[in-house]
Order: sequence, then structure tokens, then C-alpha cells
Amino acid sequence: MTAHRRLVQLAAYLGLGAVSLVFVYPYWWMVVSSLRRTQEVMTAPLRLLPERFDFTAYEQIGRIGGIPLAHYVWNSLAVTIASTAVAVLVTALAAYALSRRPKLRGLQLVRYGFLLTIMYPYMLLLIPVYLVMHQLGLLGSYAGIVLFLSLGPIQFFLFDQFFRSIPKELIEAALVDGAGEWQVLWKVVLPMSRNVVGTVTLVTFLLNWAQWFPVIVISTAPTTYTLPAALLLLNTELGASFQAILALATVTTLPVVVVFLLTQRRVMEGFAAGAVKG
Amino acid sequence: MNAIAAARRTWNERLFYLFALPFAALVIVFGLWPIAQSIRVAFLDSYTALSPDPRWVGFANFETIFADPYFHASLRITLIFTALSVVANVAVALGLALAINSPLVRRGSTFFKLCIFLPVITPDVAAFIVWKAMYDQDFGAINAALAALGLPPMAFLARADSALWAITVAELWKHVGFYTIIFLTNLALLDPELDRAAMLDGASWRQRLVHVTLPQLRPAITINAVYALIQFLKTFTVAVVMTRGGPNFATNFVSYYAYRRFDEALYGEATAMATTLFVLVGALGYAMYWAAERRDWR
Amino acid sequence: MRFRKALAAMVAALLAVATGAQAQQLTVWHDLGDNGIRWFNELNEIYRRTHPGVTVTSVSFPTDQWFGRSIAAINSNSAPDLLFNNYERVIRVMTQTNNRIVDLSSELAAAGDTSFITEADRRIATYRGRMIIFPVQRVQMAFGVRTSWLQRANEQFPSTWADVLRLGQKIRENPSGGAPAYGLALQAANPRDLIHMLDLFMFGTGLQHTLINPEGRIVIAEPRHAEVLKEFIKAFTEYRLVSPETVNHSFTDMYRMILGGRAGMFRVGDWNVRGWDTGTADLNGDFTLGPWPAFRQGDQNAVVIGGMRGVAVPENAPNRAAALAFARFLLSREAQASSLNNLGAAVRSDIPMDGLSERRLFFANPRGRLVAYDFPESVHEFYPQLEAEYHRRLLAAIASPPRDLDAFISQTSTDLQAWVDQRRPR
Repeated sequence: MTAHRRLVQLAAYLGLGAVSLVFVYPYWWMVVSSLRRTQEVMTAPLRLLPERFDFTAYEQIGRIGGIPLAHYVWNSLAVTIASTAVAVLVTALAAYALSRRPKLRGLQLVRYGFLLTIMYPYMLLLIPVYLVMHQLGLLGSYAGIVLFLSLGPIQFFLFDQFFRSIPKELIEAALVDGAGEWQVLWKVVLPMSRNVVGTVTLVTFLLNWAQWFPVIVISTAPTTYTLPAALLLLNTELGASFQAILALATVTTLPVVVVFLLTQRRVMEGFAAGAVKG
Repeated sequence: MNAIAAARRTWNERLFYLFALPFAALVIVFGLWPIAQSIRVAFLDSYTALSPDPRWVGFANFETIFADPYFHASLRITLIFTALSVVANVAVALGLALAINSPLVRRGSTFFKLCIFLPVITPDVAAFIVWKAMYDQDFGAINAALAALGLPPMAFLARADSALWAITVAELWKHVGFYTIIFLTNLALLDPELDRAAMLDGASWRQRLVHVTLPQLRPAITINAVYALIQFLKTFTVAVVMTRGGPNFATNFVSYYAYRRFDEALYGEATAMATTLFVLVGALGYAMYWAAERRDWR
Repeated sequence: MRFRKALAAMVAALLAVATGAQAQQLTVWHDLGDNGIRWFNELNEIYRRTHPGVTVTSVSFPTDQWFGRSIAAINSNSAPDLLFNNYERVIRVMTQTNNRIVDLSSELAAAGDTSFITEADRRIATYRGRMIIFPVQRVQMAFGVRTSWLQRANEQFPSTWADVLRLGQKIRENPSGGAPAYGLALQAANPRDLIHMLDLFMFGTGLQHTLINPEGRIVIAEPRHAEVLKEFIKAFTEYRLVSPETVNHSFTDMYRMILGGRAGMFRVGDWNVRGWDTGTADLNGDFTLGPWPAFRQGDQNAVVIGGMRGVAVPENAPNRAAALAFARFLLSREAQASSLNNLGAAVRSDIPMDGLSERRLFFANPRGRLVAYDFPESVHEFYPQLEAEYHRRLLAAIASPPRDLDAFISQTSTDLQAWVDQRRPR
């Protein structure tokens, strides 16, 4: 019995270990290949360590399209953080309103409108979004990008689910005690929501960091590009360095990987919670 | 007294409307309005679509795309790929979740979860650039590994008959972690008593899985399947980065084909394709959800 | 409608950052990458000496983004002051923006001595009766071969297609550097990519058209054309001259094959040489330039003029007068010298060329035969769709090679001719 169990356990560890290796190998390959000459990568793609650390690609991407790399990093941070803040605030308030007063006339329409929106293949909104941004005077502005990214796919569900789980009695008790709706929100609901706000913030940050298409559509110049959008700038017909592309891919990926590793529990719970009762 | 209460009620209602307003504005301005514009363009002549006085052409754009054999093929490819991916993602995620959840691997389960979930938060453009290079028939890491193991090389993206599979695998790598985590969350919510009772009755591991665990996971399977359906029907970035719809249109997904039409300035046809896909996503998603829910009611 | 406007006004008022419009800030949109940005910065410095109030900034986009953006910007009245790109791309922008590109013919007269612009250049630059660009750079493309690989194979620079095939086979059978290698680097993922590659071989052997002539006749089944086309398809299939991945390759991947040292023969554009010449680049100067191979005896090998890059002004450019003045400046000797230095190409030949390497002189001061593209876009409005249609047929033939290539070519020719006849105005 125990021997058999041991064997099964060993097999399980080996199997899962192999799967995990397959999942993280592309990252290793990306980082190592960004430190090797393209010629070396193409002749020996499997090498686990560079023959010598070649940082020329990282020097090459010091400026992309005439703009310093630091500027793209800054854009990525600013756009992601700002859009996360707006998304959390706006979505939380709406989800709260909808869960407290689902019967209020018109409020359910907001939910259905949102559901329709997330079903549309949004890369095909290219031209309409461009026109809308133009009509609003937001074309080429950070504000346009930030506002567009504030409408995320799962944040609403996360908040909706959380607010519905708050016991009605709790709020009613506060109201009976003479508290106004503002006070209920500030003194009762908000303190309870710290956790979910943190989770949604993380999830939104990670999702918005990866966005590239809306950034390209709304920008009028690479000055407002984020890192993933800049990654596509390297693909030009006048010449492209594969090593530089991998170096920028590494720079783009690394921050989210670090944030994720530091906060993994929360992030995974968040992604799961958003879908459990979507 | 009554008047005060009524006033307070109206004030409160206004307050809740106020709370919902910014979100509603975002949904309207960046969701519904562009969608409506996009659907409108589907009924316009491409060459005048962006001008101040566009020409209406009725269903002509839809007639054009439905007469196009490449669009038929594109729809077929999208549906095959979606079916493959939904089944593969749900099945693999379920398998991984059950394995990770097993008491046998309690130590290290966090590590496994981390590895499997990592691709979900990785920017897709970066991830697929790497996969494309790794898939290269002559210069890629995967064939080099196969050769090192004494296995024959594979064509992956280079051939029409293997490209869809290769993309399915890359997409699985990117997304399966998400579905795995949902299963794991649901597994943690299961009632351990049922399993224990079945064990006392002498049920085998397999019997317990089929008769105890899986039935309880049914809602999670539904949710995952519907999510995966919506996600994979809209597949886009992977085609842009890895194949440009090729080779020989083998990965020409509807969303990519429509995008290509945009590129040729055939805005009417492009949005007609987008609208068709939109209807498809809505209808299939709803049908799947409805079917699964109805079964649960019984 | 009113709601929409109110909402628009509200959001705009809340968020629009006050942008103080600077009257003489000129913006150029191009797709020349860092080299282009460096060039326009240099031009800005030169121009400022004579026009102190004017600053010129340039923005580079990948080509496909440049298209969508330029078209949308002109259509929605948010155009830049100047567009800089290949002539046929400006045509596409023009056709999709209701002709809103300024006619420059009267401006050319004001630009002083422009005798260096030939009658052919002028013809190319004219579309729908307007001169839509000032030609600024003649884009030349030659055939490049890895010098050390030539020596290894004990071969001369290939001058016929047979030479190319022989060298290609030697490269494949005895690759340098411990990994597979291919004779040629091509690309085929996008319609324009594949047909661009085919163009190079067609024009390089002295033909005048690849797909369609100005009268609207499909030419692919004519004997000389058919021969090039057949060999081109076989390069993918029977000869295995290119990597099987080529069907998914676009520019990035083609450059990866060239710079990664896994292809022996490749396209070299005049803009590539500067970077590939120097010791720091992957290629490390290990390449020889020459004209494209000849397919038949009696054909003259040619270097291909693959396009004309030039500057265009949208009708709704914010600073139209200043933009036109700057466009004229691009034809000046100083601007042209800067163009040659930064991008390897110009239209004037009366500019200093001392200090240029031999390979750069190959383009800067061409001695051999030059054959220019036919620019079917400028004649046939339906051309982009025709090209996409043709691309489909070629991809199908590459994916599953037809047993009888001649039959395939004549069938394709008939089908495409029918397609064209349906769309041609009578």
C-alpha cells in the first residue's frame, strides 16, 4: 500500500514537474536568446546558457523610433496605473449601485450593455474607436488610452460578486441606526472591501500592462506607446534585429512576472473569482 | 415625516444613479457606441464609409462575404479551432487541477500553480513572438529538442495541416492556467464529506472522480466552457504574430480575416465579418450556457 | 444626437489637455524607422538656419500602421503636415481619402532647377492628373550573396538562375556553421511581400510587368513571364531553395534569416548597406552586391528600382504653406546629401559622394542596368485586390504544388483576366 502510494506520488511529482518545466521554458529561452547573437541562437537554439553575455541588443533598444526606452517604460507604468485606478473606482461604484438597487429603473441596462461590449471582438472596433476618440478630441492623448483601458472584462464581475455577498442585514442595520447611504458606503462597505479592491487592482494592472491594440489605435505618435506597442514598432521593412525584439520582449514581460510572483495568491484568486460565478 | 422619507428615497436613488453613471458612460462611449458604428459601417459602401455622406448598400457586404469561399473556410477554421481549444483547455485544465489538488503533491502545489498560471499574465505579443521562433522547423528549440531525443522533426507552422494544431498548443499554453485556477477554486469548495463517505463505501479513485467529484464540478465546467468559447472564437493576436493567417489560409480566423479586409480598406466587408462573428459569439455562448444550465435544473 | 454631443463636450472639457497650437511646428509621418528619424532631425537643423521659426519633427510607424493612420487622419481632419513614403502607398492613401493630396506640379516649378527629375520620375509621380509626390529617394534593390559562402562553394557571383540554383544546392548540402542553411531568403506571409519578391526576379531579368500591363491584360502566362513564375514557385517546392517556414515569413523573419546567417542569397536594399557594412552588424560586411540573375540567355541582369520614396502634402495639412516650402527643400542639394548619407538613396546625383564605401557607391552611383517597377497601382484602382487574389493562387500552388505548372499558370491567368474584365470600366 505505502510502496504503491510512494510510487504514485513520485509519478505525480515527475509529471507535474515536467509540465511546469514546459510552461516556464519559453521564458528561459527568451531571456537567454536575448543575450546571444541571432546567429548563435539559430545554430544552437537549445543552449541553456549564453556562450558569452552579449548585451548589444539591450543597447540597441535604448532608443526605439527615436524615443528612449525609458519613455516607453514610463508610459507603460503611467497608463497602466492610471487606467487601473479609474477602472477600480468606476467599476466598484457601478457594481455597488447595481448590487444594492438591482430594481432601479435602467440600472440593469448597464449590465446588459456591458455584457454586449465584452462579447464584441474588440480588435475590430479599430475604426469606430478611432472615430469616437477623434470626435471626443481624445485622439493621441494619454486620457483617451487610459479611459478606454478602464473598461475591463472581468473587474465588474469581481466587484459584483463581492458586493452581493455582503449580508443585507449589515447594511440595513446601519440604515436603521440612522446612517445615510454615504456613511454606509464609507463606514460599512468600504472597510470590508479592502481585500477585493486590492485583488481587482492587481488583476487590472496585469491585464492592462499587456494591452497593445487600443494603445496603437488611439495614439497618433509613438510618444504615447506602451512597451507591448513598442514591440511591434521593431517590425519594420527597413530592417529588424531579432535579438533586439527578444530583448524588448524580455523588458516587457519581466515587470509583470515580478509583480505576479510577489502577489501570486491574490492574483490567482482574483482571476478565479471573476469567473466562478460570471 | 413621510415627505422627508420620500425625499430621502429620491436622493438615494439619485445617488445610486450617480454611482453607476461613470461606468455607464464608459460602456456607452467605448463599447456600445463604437459597436453601433461598426454595425452601421457593415451596411455602407466601403469607399464612402468614412466620408461625410456615405452610401448605404443594404446587405450587399453580407452577400459579398457569404459568397466568398475563403470566408466560409475562415468560419470553418474558426469553429474547428474553437471546438479543439475549448475541449483541450477544459480537459487539460481539469486534469491539471485534479493533479495539483491531490493530497499526494501537497508540498510544491503552489510552485506548480505558479508555473502554469504565469503565461496568463504574460503580454501576448511577447509570448507569441517567442513561440514562433521556438516552432521554427530548422532553427527552433522544439525541433532541436525532438532531435536530441532521437525523434523526427515536425513541421509545426510551416505546413497547412499542422499549423492549426501548433497554434492550438501555443494558445493552450497561454490560457490553460486561467481555467486550471478556476477548477482549483471550485475543488476547494467541494464538500469533503461526500468524498469521505464514498471512500468508506469502498469506492475506487476512479469511481469517486466520476460519481462524486465531477458532478459537483459541473457548474465550473460550464463556466469554463462558455468562457473558453467566447475567448477562442475571438482569437486574433496569435494569427497576427505567428502566421498571418497562413500557411495557405490554414489559420485565417474570422477576426484576422476581417482585420485583413480593413487593411485593404474594405471597411464594409470587414465590419460585416465582425458583425457575423459578434452574432456567432453571442448565439453560441448563450446556447451553450442555456443547455448547460437547463441540464442542471433537472 | 444631442446626448452624444453633450457627452462629447463634457468628456472633452473634462479631459482635453490644453494644446497650445504652435503655428510652425511641422510633423512628418514616415515608416523609415530610426534612420529616418535621424535624417529628419538633421534636416530640421539645416532648415532652421534659413527658416528660424520652423521646427520639423518626424514620427515613424511600421508600414501597415502608417497606412491606417494616414488614411484615418486625413479622413477625420487630423492630418499631419507631410507624409513621406513610397509612391504607390501615397496613391492608396489618396484613393481612400477622396483625393485629398495636394497637386504639387506648380510647386515643382517653384523649386528651382529640378532637371534631375526625369520624365519617367514625373510620370511615376503623377496620378489622376496630379503630381502627388516630390520624388526624393530612388529605391534600389540588388542581389546580395555571402562572400565567404561563395568562396566555400568555389563559385562566382551568380549571374543566371542556373547559377543561383547550383549555388543554392551547394549551400543546402554543405551548410556553413553547423546548422541547416538555405540558398535564398524570401518572404510570403502578406500579399505584398510575396509579390514584391516575385517582382524583383521579374524586373531583375528585364521584364516590364509582373502581373498586369497598363492596358489591363494579365501577363503571367506570356512565355518569359511564365518561366520566371514557374522557377519562382519551384524555389519554394521542388528546389527547396528557401526555408519551408517562408510561407509565414514577413520582413522581420526574412531579416532574421539573412542576419542570422542561414541564407546565402538575399535582397539588399540601398538603405541596408550602411548598417550591414560596419563591423558591428551581424553580417559583418560578409556580402557581395550585384544585379539580379538573368533567366534566359540574352536577358540583361538588372538592379531593380523598386520604388520612389517621396513627400506628399495632405490637403488638410495644418500648416500647408510651410509644409509645401519644406517639401521643396527636400529636393535641395543639402537635403539630398543628407538623404544619401542617412538612407542610402537620393534622386540627385550632383551631391558629394567621397568617402562612401564601394558597396554604397554601387547604389549611389549606379553603373549597370536599372529597371524600374511598373506601378500598376497608379493605373488600376482595383490592383490591391487583384494582388490579394493572385497571392491566394500562389500560396495554394506553394502549399500543394500542381502537377502541371504550365496549366496552373494559364488557368490562373484566365481566371484573373476574367476578374479584371469584370471590374474594368468600359
